[in-house]
Amino acid sequence: MNKEAGETREKPSAKELSKQLTAAYLEDARTAHDHGKYVAYTTAVSPVELFVAHDIIPIYPENHAVACLTKQMGTELSLAMEKRGYTSHLCAYARSDMGYRITGKSAMGGIPDPDFLLACNAQCFTLTKWFEVLARQYQVPLFVFDTPQWIRDPGARKEIVKYCVRQLKEMIASLEELTGKKYDYDRLAEVMAYSRDASLLYRRFLDMAAYKPSPISIFDALIHMAITVYLRGTPQCVDYYQTLCDEVQAKADNGIGVVEDERFRLYWENLPVWFKFRDHFNLLKSYGANILTSLYVHSWSYEFDTSKDPLETLAENYVSVFSNVTLEERAEMALDLFQRYALNGSLMFVNRSCKAVSFAVYTLKDILSEKTGYPALIFESDMGDPRFYSETQIRTRIEAFLETLQRREAEAV
Amino acid sequence: MIEKQKIRPDALKKLLEIANDPYGCLADLRKKKRIIGSTLADVPEELIHAAGLHPFLILGTNDPIRHSTAMLPDNSCSLARSNLELVVGYQGAFFDGFVLSQVCDTTQHLCDIWKRKFPDHYFENFLAPRQVARPSARDWYAQECRRLRAALENYTGRKISDEDLRQSFGLYNENRSLLRRLYDIKRDVPALMTNREFFDAVKATFFMDKQEHSRLIQEVLHWADQEKHHVTEQDGYFKAIMVGIVVEPPHLYDMLDEVKGGIVGDNLCTASRYIYHDVEVEGDPAEALADRHLRKPYFTPINEDVRRIYTDLVSLYRERKAEAIFYVHIKYCESQDYDLPDIKAQMRAEGIPFLELETEYQTTHLAQMKTRLQAFCESVIRKGLS
Repeated sequence: MNKEAGETREKPSAKELSKQLTAAYLEDARTAHDHGKYVAYTTAVSPVELFVAHDIIPIYPENHAVACLTKQMGTELSLAMEKRGYTSHLCAYARSDMGYRITGKSAMGGIPDPDFLLACNAQCFTLTKWFEVLARQYQVPLFVFDTPQWIRDPGARKEIVKYCVRQLKEMIASLEELTGKKYDYDRLAEVMAYSRDASLLYRRFLDMAAYKPSPISIFDALIHMAITVYLRGTPQCVDYYQTLCDEVQAKADNGIGVVEDERFRLYWENLPVWFKFRDHFNLLKSYGANILTSLYVHSWSYEFDTSKDPLETLAENYVSVFSNVTLEERAEMALDLFQRYALNGSLMFVNRSCKAVSFAVYTLKDILSEKTGYPALIFESDMGDPRFYSETQIRTRIEAFLETLQRREAEAV
Repeated sequence: MIEKQKIRPDALKKLLEIANDPYGCLADLRKKKRIIGSTLADVPEELIHAAGLHPFLILGTNDPIRHSTAMLPDNSCSLARSNLELVVGYQGAFFDGFVLSQVCDTTQHLCDIWKRKFPDHYFENFLAPRQVARPSARDWYAQECRRLRAALENYTGRKISDEDLRQSFGLYNENRSLLRRLYDIKRDVPALMTNREFFDAVKATFFMDKQEHSRLIQEVLHWADQEKHHVTEQDGYFKAIMVGIVVEPPHLYDMLDEVKGGIVGDNLCTASRYIYHDVEVEGDPAEALADRHLRKPYFTPINEDVRRIYTDLVSLYRERKAEAIFYVHIKYCESQDYDLPDIKAQMRAEGIPFLELETEYQTTHLAQMKTRLQAFCESVIRKGLS
């Protein structure tokens, strides 16, 4: 009977799957200690496969912070930590997280306390310092996975990978010490295979932005990237992206675009303004514009080579994320997106919260404008704190930019 | 009548002059050697020296910022901003090349912008480990030294022999040793020379020919050894610890001098982090440099034991029998921003008088800071009373 019921039940949509998977993951994390499991905090770009293979539940304070910032809790949480002597100049994720720890306020019922912390500095340096604060607060070990800048020197790159692999071995030793359990490399190989498959499917999903009209916008990517951030290395993650790709492919096959009469296909630089992204989407849509992609959402489209030593392919993938390459290479990565997705303009956000991504944006704009000839708009604000978002000014500037695009389009005709 | 101890030797005057205007004073250097600029912290200058080049530490400018503002976000730290300003706006022609180190997001991405601004200059990143908590850090530092050595050889077209390196190590060790001796005397006899004089004399070593700097310091030492016996006015001085990365603007030293705060210990990149610990002359040169790197005092961007942000300060304070800690906080320095609340809480718990001084290069409003420092000294540690 069960089988019969199963046969007639419709397969859940990606959206439904996402809800189910997120609920199950959080339940596992919240009850981890009841079941003798460990919880490790880690950074969104980090070799989380090592945790998954050792039955340690990874928790991402950044993801929790995104949930709080999207619900417009950024200012309230930041003010709580500012009262403790921290400055409002810090990353909004860190401010939101530390504010949550003071007030207990959360957009998703909170996250469990950590037994172990891993900070991978390929993503940024601020995470190391933020996690140092947490390590002191919870008196738990912090492991910094140090990933030197992925400079364009083949000899240096070989040595960087060696250094990173050695550190991953040091980390495995730390995990064995924490859990008292020997590390299982066969299990790691299985996890790597799931991670490889999910990452390829995630990339396929992102690449559907190349269709005209595009069946996705960057806002879809920002929503759907969550599962690969916290569930990569699991079979559920692979199923999820397969479902998502099937859904989006069907839209593309039927010529369904996110924006009707799509005229402007834009690149976004930086993380999003989390509490504004729906507004931004609607504003752009009213002009026939769609932001299709960014290097940020591509941070999780890894290419794990499972024919290699798993530690080596982990090291190669995590050290070479866009925020850790040279500016020259980052510009080439962005130009590749321009070419593959037929983009014709950029919105470049200088994010007060993220020096790692924002520091060179002015120079990056010069390079992209020079190489593509397409216009770009730069604006400064904060990804999570409305106090640093000037509504009228930014809206006016985006509108002016869109009008420029319209004018260029009219002149071209 | 001028007191005897107030007469400074010419060597000291020369050092102070160079510390405050290195580009004006050292223009002739370029005629002798190619100049390689580097930024804080931890570039092994000995390698650059052994390559027959002149290593020069770029320590920003207090001149007006005109160019770098358009290249950086408004919340970038003033050290980054003023370093870029200095090379782009004022002194770019002084340098033949750069070896820039990366310790945080700002320094990492600054390297990229910098490199693009100087496409015709020799340029190398020095990727120091950003953790020194585990054995892998030592090997990585040594590996980076080997890479830098090969890159410098390629640039100059000349091999750097182990003997060249040993000679450079010896020269730098001697210089550090002389500075340590001077620091010892200054600590024991605070009225002999001001904080500003001592730390400027140290600062000059980042710019000058090492041999010449050592010669001048030897002259100062000779003077100090003679004069310390004649210094009678030692009353009213209190012992202070100076904490931070750099002390800018240097008028902060003057303010401490005015209240008779004698610095007896520090963890500054431009002082103790530089002058303490020598390089072992024997053995593998790259490993010797790595060993020295790991022995240096704690540096906030580099991860180690997370409690060292305050345990080291407490130890230094107690060991030097100090009476207050002054923390120079460079505005928008993320490392310091994250550390400070926990440091302050620990200082309160330990009962250690602690004053944070938030500054920037180009700080012009020093009067307010001076009032705070004086008030702190008078009310908290009962010093500096007129």
